[in-house]
Amino acid sequence: MYRYFLALRYLLARPINLLGVVGIMLGVWALIVVVSIFSGFLKEVARHLQSSTADMTAINLPEGVPFDEIRAIVEADPNVAACSPRIVWQGLVHPFGDQVGRAAPPAGMSELGAATPFVSVLGIDPDLERGVTRFRDWLDVLDDPTLRVADLDAPLAMRDGLPGLVLSRQRMAEDGVVAGDRAKLTVGRMRREGGREELDFRPLACTVAGAYETSYAGFDGMNVFVHIDTMRGFLDGDARSESANEVAIRLHDTAEAANTAARLQRALAEGVAGRGASWIRVRTWAEANAGRIGNVEHQRSLMKLVLFVIMVVAAFLMYATLSMMVTEKTHDIGILTAMGASPRGVMAVFTGCGVAIAVVGAGLGVAFGCLSSIYLDSLNKFLTANFGIDLFPVRIYHLRHVPYDLDPVWISQVAGSALVVGALVAAIPAWRAARYDPLDSLRNE
Amino acid sequence: MTRAILEASAVTKSYAIGSRSIPVLRGVDLSIGEGEVVALLGASGAGKSTLLHVLGLLDPPSSGRVLFEGRPVHDLPIRERASLRHRQIGFVFQFYHLIPELNALENVKLGTMMDRGLLSWMKDRRELDERARDLLRTVGLTERHTHRPSELSGGERQRVAIARALIARPKVILADEPTGNLDSETAAGVLDLLFRINREEGVAFLMVTHDERLAERCDRLIRMKDGVVVS
Repeated sequence: MYRYFLALRYLLARPINLLGVVGIMLGVWALIVVVSIFSGFLKEVARHLQSSTADMTAINLPEGVPFDEIRAIVEADPNVAACSPRIVWQGLVHPFGDQVGRAAPPAGMSELGAATPFVSVLGIDPDLERGVTRFRDWLDVLDDPTLRVADLDAPLAMRDGLPGLVLSRQRMAEDGVVAGDRAKLTVGRMRREGGREELDFRPLACTVAGAYETSYAGFDGMNVFVHIDTMRGFLDGDARSESANEVAIRLHDTAEAANTAARLQRALAEGVAGRGASWIRVRTWAEANAGRIGNVEHQRSLMKLVLFVIMVVAAFLMYATLSMMVTEKTHDIGILTAMGASPRGVMAVFTGCGVAIAVVGAGLGVAFGCLSSIYLDSLNKFLTANFGIDLFPVRIYHLRHVPYDLDPVWISQVAGSALVVGALVAAIPAWRAARYDPLDSLRNE
Repeated sequence: MTRAILEASAVTKSYAIGSRSIPVLRGVDLSIGEGEVVALLGASGAGKSTLLHVLGLLDPPSSGRVLFEGRPVHDLPIRERASLRHRQIGFVFQFYHLIPELNALENVKLGTMMDRGLLSWMKDRRELDERARDLLRTVGLTERHTHRPSELSGGERQRVAIARALIARPKVILADEPTGNLDSETAAGVLDLLFRINREEGVAFLMVTHDERLAERCDRLIRMKDGVVVS
């Protein structure tokens, strides 16, 4: 009993011990907040990426193989629910004629990628695309009549004699474009002529049908939609060519995506063998975005390592304060021994001090870490609105709020490490205390 | 003499200073009976305090035996020696050695915590608290329970130390110059208290002192010189 009692009283009698508590608390707090934000960011990015892409895509399909043949191969797989053809090409979006944008670009929009005229032009079949992505939902999120696509069932139909073009909301806002405006799309392709290949840029006048918006701003900034037949006619000279250089696929079971991708890779390679050079590649949505996800995961791992240093500094602080306490308490150690305390009991008193510091520090760190993570977005909005301080500029990261993901396993690991570090650090001065000769302190008054 | 409670048999103690061995006790034999008050006299350096520490199991003898109630105890395992020290032997020091963070009552109650676990202590806490208050009343500190050592006079601190030594109901108290740091009036009060406790509680005392007048009040007087008992 005296171990707990004295440990507590020694701690309470020395405000300097708060340094150890604060140090451990800060270490735990930082490890929880920063990692929870990174984990939330990772989760959010993955969710947004997944919601703005198909479960799987087969890319680099050879020219001249009709989509129906590809579809037959793809849909033969038991895990494939639906597929849709695409012609995906790089291009430029720019104003038509002497048209001038109407609206002033809102602040921060350029951070989302909408400032660049370089885009991926996605030629899609809207009816089939709805079966593999949330394309219709992306069109149905806007109420503004100047941005909204008028006919959700035929969003890419010809208007005023020109093909329909769907831009992202942010691009329309950035360029001051409204539905019904004209825009020019320039697409380059390799042209073979007389045995020579040369890059041929071709402009295409379009009517802006309206805007779309996914939950991943990074996707929105870089993609525009036209009808696949428009791209076929534009690139092949035949709107009914049935060609597709990419197929978007929806799966029954996304957990089986990797196996399905491997099967489809083999099936497509065999199915189109000898039909022209191509680098067919079947990628899951995670593989297609592995760079983005891996980058965040790597940063999160580095942050864990860096922030653990705070814990080590806190441990040194705790060691220093406990060492001072042991030196001050040599007389007490003598009298405690005379009263019947064993060396192990004396050690337990001072180890108890360290463990108590670590428990309180870790407890407060966990509590503040969780609360900070939960309320960081509100705090950030408050600071931005009232003081212009943006702690977490979410738009840079293509997000709309500060994300967080509190993982109980990580929180337990952080709290557990704090306790272990606290106990280990306290054990050193406590061991010294246990080795004191009680007679030294009783003699040398 | 009554039945021996604490005995030293041919006890020697030497300390090594560098390569030299300095003998402090050179074969001490003595015995303290139940309820007996024994004064241990001698000049500085005679080995009185060292003998006290050896008898109190704080310091092992270099040779010889220490017996408690006839049982050799000097070579018991460290935990058993600690337990014996707590249950059977009380200490009172010249400089009190109270824990400065605790008030008078808590310093006394600390003695009840040494061999009890948290649950056991919590179960009996009312009874233990009452006993500590009784002891403080016995030593005349009814009104000073909540005062810390820094807020007490020397005499009051020594009374708290005596109450703390008594809380575990020891059979013998080893007192190392208990009045050596007190003025004569306060010292007389503390001595009266010790003799009263001896009479009322039956606790034996071995008191190291330089004070011949104190020694005369004791049941027996042992003189030491150069590490041996001379009378």
